[in-house]
Amino acid sequence: MDRNRWLVLPLILALAVGLGYAVLSLPERTDGLQKMVADKMEVSGVSNPVTAVLLNFRGYDTLLEMVVLLLALLGVWSLGGAALHREAAPGPVLDTLARLLVPVLILVAAYLLWVGAHAPGGAFQAGSVLGAAGVLLLLVGWRLRPGLTAWPLRLILVAGPGAFVIMAIFTLLIERQLLEYPPAQAGALILLLETAATLSIGVTLAALFLGERPQDKGSK
Amino acid sequence: MGAEVSDIPWGLVLILLPLMGGMACFLWPRVTTMLGLVTVFGVALSVAGLGWQILENGVYRHAVGGWGAPLGIDLYADGLSLLMLTATALVGLGVSVYSAAYFRREDATRFWPLWLFLLAGLNALFLSADIFNLYVTLELMGLAAVALAALTGGKDALGGAMRYLLAALLGSLAYLLGVALLYHGFGTVDITLLGQRVESGPVLWAALGLMGAGLLLKTAVFPLHFWLPPAHASAPAPVSALLSALVVKASFYILLRLWLSIFGPLVGEEGVDTLLGLLGATAVLWGSVQALRQTRLKLLIAYSTVAQIGYLFLAFPLAAAAGVTAWHAVIYLAFSHALAKAAMFLVAGNLLRFGGHDRIADLDRVVQRLPLTTGAFALAGVSIMGLPPSGGFIGKWLLLEMALAQGRWDLVVVMILGGLLAAGYIFKVLGRAFTQAEVTHKSRAVPACMEWAALLLAIGAVLLGFLAVPVLSVVGIGDPFGVSGVRP
Repeated sequence: MDRNRWLVLPLILALAVGLGYAVLSLPERTDGLQKMVADKMEVSGVSNPVTAVLLNFRGYDTLLEMVVLLLALLGVWSLGGAALHREAAPGPVLDTLARLLVPVLILVAAYLLWVGAHAPGGAFQAGSVLGAAGVLLLLVGWRLRPGLTAWPLRLILVAGPGAFVIMAIFTLLIERQLLEYPPAQAGALILLLETAATLSIGVTLAALFLGERPQDKGSK
Repeated sequence: MGAEVSDIPWGLVLILLPLMGGMACFLWPRVTTMLGLVTVFGVALSVAGLGWQILENGVYRHAVGGWGAPLGIDLYADGLSLLMLTATALVGLGVSVYSAAYFRREDATRFWPLWLFLLAGLNALFLSADIFNLYVTLELMGLAAVALAALTGGKDALGGAMRYLLAALLGSLAYLLGVALLYHGFGTVDITLLGQRVESGPVLWAALGLMGAGLLLKTAVFPLHFWLPPAHASAPAPVSALLSALVVKASFYILLRLWLSIFGPLVGEEGVDTLLGLLGATAVLWGSVQALRQTRLKLLIAYSTVAQIGYLFLAFPLAAAAGVTAWHAVIYLAFSHALAKAAMFLVAGNLLRFGGHDRIADLDRVVQRLPLTTGAFALAGVSIMGLPPSGGFIGKWLLLEMALAQGRWDLVVVMILGGLLAAGYIFKVLGRAFTQAEVTHKSRAVPACMEWAALLLAIGAVLLGFLAVPVLSVVGIGDPFGVSGVRP
């Protein structure tokens, strides 16, 4: 172990020095794409440049990222059953906190989703807050009713990537490029995509926290 | 009707169809196998459609979102992309037909969504012309591959998959850091624009080091191959086939693209090509010797992948003088290895199913009992060894000829030794297939489509040996090797 450490240490130091030198030699200001993004903001359908890049200019990356998130959950589920550990009953503090916080978190998520069009916010932030609400609920012992764990849960999980793929096909059907929104409707379509993405991200994160696949009725 | 079919954007279908298929398999687990097969056949047809369009109209380009690079993302397919897509579709078809019989229902519901997302990731990767988008496709492919490798859930599989996950993530992150440096230094993530803008300097070298190391790790080049044998050997057979045939080729493809359009012209003469060649040569010898020492068939095949990947890197030091021929050799080797290695892993799966084990010493006359499977192994072996007539022969012959012409006797010796060692480990298996084992085992029947899938893939690897002229003329569409091909 020790010998390895002495071997690895100089390697890491050399890497750090090399990278540091490369970063320091970067030009102070480069003409990135900021100006180009700013020029096209008017036709992007939103006024927050980050949202414009994520959902419009590079929406295809976000489509694939939504699938990556679903894939992460599928991967965890396919590892099969870690035994369901029975939690002790939550204390009164946690219980009250969850009752107070979960509705607030859901409201905050909705606000972040809405505000993303013109200020920092958007689907990923809203989804994370929603996911946190889900984690809190899971911590106090709340579980989906068995009837909801099969189809309804799966449907929400694929809502985000599914909405993106449907949007992609829709834009092709109206004879545009892939994910090229008509400028007049761009804002509304982006909000639609973000809403579906928020739901999926939130539920996926909470499901990742739970770890194991919720059992369907009948199958064990 | 003809006009309508030629108007369909087949390149986009290649990405959207497997995504939809994967989600559908996830939503309707009861019919997952049927949905999966339909999707894979649809993808194969789409590759044919895209190929037809490329032959008719030249390279395919699609500006996603209508923005165009550098603001948006461009999809791009030339002859090189088309060939990789074709290899993916052929291996995908073979493995899918095989998997339909291989997996029991419970495992099938987990396998198909993951495999279809992997297929979408591969197709998107081969169609991408944007280094950040390539990172996203790498993640898609990598996560799906890790989850597939862990599918059997045993101790070996989980350990192998965990190592694989850590190696894959480290590789992706190193690549991403390189992307950030290139973007900050040169203001774009589009490969073509980067190729025009880059200039030599610390930023370029740091990016090359990070992206190169990340991709070499993902491609499992010696000495970064440590994760491959356990992951590939402990996965279910069809998954091993996909990982060895396609997934390691995908990261190699990115490396090749970056080398051809961004790094090669600037740093090719500074010894980087020699270093890559050295790694390749070591991989050929080390992988082959390790393969020869294995007592389990799947580990033998996995180490053979380490060796065969090495051959791909022998082309880099030869390319400076030989130009486009070197890349032709690489493409041929990659394509034929994909088919042959997929066939070999499927054979291993058949033997596991048949005898319940994959110990080479106890193969016990399988040649009489599973003649198709043994035939598949022999034919795939012909291509892996590089014997004529096979795809592997064309690739290795081109490499050997160039090495001789340039007086690179060191590489000649490595290639000949590698071929001899490959013959050694292939015949070690075939020999046992003819002899009677000391201990006999009970055997289980192997479904016919599992035998035929392996055999057809192996036949494909051999047939490639006859198709050199048409295949290489297709690869040349769009001049993918032009940049560093004609260097003074």
